[in-house]
Amino acid sequence: MADRADLRIASVSRGEKITIVVNGRACSAFQGETVHAALLAAGYRVLRNTTKTGQPRGIFCGMGICYDCLVTIDGIPNQRACMTLVRDRMEIRINE
Amino acid sequence: MNRRHSVIIIGSGLAGLAAADLLCRHGLDVLIIDDNVHTGGQLLRKQPNTVSVRRRFEPDRLKHRGFQLAERLATRKVRFLKGTQVLGIYPDNTLLLAQPPGDVGEHQADILILATGARERYLPFKGWTLPGVMSTGAAQILMKSSGILPGANTLIGGNGPLMFVLAAEILANRGAVQAVLDQSSLSTKLRFFNAGPAVWPKLFEGAICLLRMAAARVPVKQRVRIVEARGSEGLETVVAARVDAHGRIVQGTEQIWAADTLAVGYGFAPNIELAQQAGCAVAHAADKGGWYVDVSPTMATSVTHIYAAGETTGIAGAGKSFVEGRIAAWDILHRQGRIDRKRYAERIRPLMHQWRQQVRYGRFLNRLCRLAPDCYTDIPDETMICRCEEITLGDIRKQLNNGFVTMNSLKKSTRCGMGYCQGRTCGPILADIISAVTKQLPAAAGCPSARSPVKPVCLRTLAKMPSESDHNHED
Repeated sequence: MADRADLRIASVSRGEKITIVVNGRACSAFQGETVHAALLAAGYRVLRNTTKTGQPRGIFCGMGICYDCLVTIDGIPNQRACMTLVRDRMEIRINE
Repeated sequence: MNRRHSVIIIGSGLAGLAAADLLCRHGLDVLIIDDNVHTGGQLLRKQPNTVSVRRRFEPDRLKHRGFQLAERLATRKVRFLKGTQVLGIYPDNTLLLAQPPGDVGEHQADILILATGARERYLPFKGWTLPGVMSTGAAQILMKSSGILPGANTLIGGNGPLMFVLAAEILANRGAVQAVLDQSSLSTKLRFFNAGPAVWPKLFEGAICLLRMAAARVPVKQRVRIVEARGSEGLETVVAARVDAHGRIVQGTEQIWAADTLAVGYGFAPNIELAQQAGCAVAHAADKGGWYVDVSPTMATSVTHIYAAGETTGIAGAGKSFVEGRIAAWDILHRQGRIDRKRYAERIRPLMHQWRQQVRYGRFLNRLCRLAPDCYTDIPDETMICRCEEITLGDIRKQLNNGFVTMNSLKKSTRCGMGYCQGRTCGPILADIISAVTKQLPAAAGCPSARSPVKPVCLRTLAKMPSESDHNHED
């Protein structure tokens, strides 16, 4: 995970601050954010590796069409991160 | 819950909202379904409760109108099913829905309006699958929906006006834009002035975008094409080169940009899969963005009791979507006897006039994003075309040489379009590649068939289907 600039836009008024757990590690997020946005802000951009050639994939279309951003959420695999809102204590597994 | 309705609208973007608003006002029972967790489609991306972006001067009048519509509908007796996918449309307008959390159900309506919108098109380049390379829409949505910048210093490439809108939005959010690399030329853009009256509000918005970019000293390069994205676990550098009038790369003009975020956009394609699956006739036109749902002047598809409105009938932007939603709604109200012939004619006439203006604007919009057939020659064999199934251009070229020159035969021989996205990403690209190789119009290659489920669904979800349902469907 690279040391990234803070990508959260300062002027946006956000919902309640919550905790999401990414590969066992606690990160903050805010109510109303999508999983893919919260992961990007937390510095995670490789979301999975492809089955055939093991290529890294991350956010691509951002609107639920391309199915690149598939992650495991609360034990359920193949969830589109860009179409799912974060919840407090959500457990996300990526890049496995 | 009630599973029978007068009208079911699929898609809550501008077309769906415009239709719903009108139908509700005349007392019809309306259900709106959307795959997204919030309404508003791609333009609004509105989160009603939590994340709210402070409104700066919003130059986009349609967006403003759209927000008003969404707010108005929230107070009316309109039912919304959000985060819900339509898996297929069956006889008597019966819909099979996958609803959260993982349930399947049926809903039925007298009339359907398909307002399924559009998706982005792409011109592939080597390395475009790397994390850090995303669509211009994805970059916008990150900001609009979640208030997060796509990157610390975003590089933008492609063709089409969305690149400039994105640049301005990033800057307005105090992010940085490294440069805009526009594959088209200045002369193509100047043709915009001839696009009719519907273009003027867009030119105004465009001028504001350019002023913001000039103030931030964002470099804009014309006739520069993205050639390669490089990096190991994610994007690290981008190679771009000048192109000639045919979109062919000029050797020796390559420039390297250090970037960890690249947003690319090459226009839009209508989402027609559900309409096709329902049996609606589709047609192809480059100046409508490719394959589109063929509708009558009052938005009726070839299937009785099914209408289509918005980008799905041809790419032309939010103005057309709004007008078409209204036209479809008035037609429904007239046929249902809710308004008389005289009132119907009064309402429809100005809408038809506006519609013609919006369609004219749409033609120019699509021509602006047009890619010359020659530009596919420069893409190396190892470039991924079908991202889901990991099929390269080399694999495709081999099968094209074997004579598989229709969309369906190419799909079967390569597996392109058989992955999760069901050909939504690679489909328009394949159509262009076939056309470039065969030197025939894309319509000649045919449209790939769409079957239920039109979105992927888990067996676990299907297993929950109510046992009293009788599903005798041919698919």
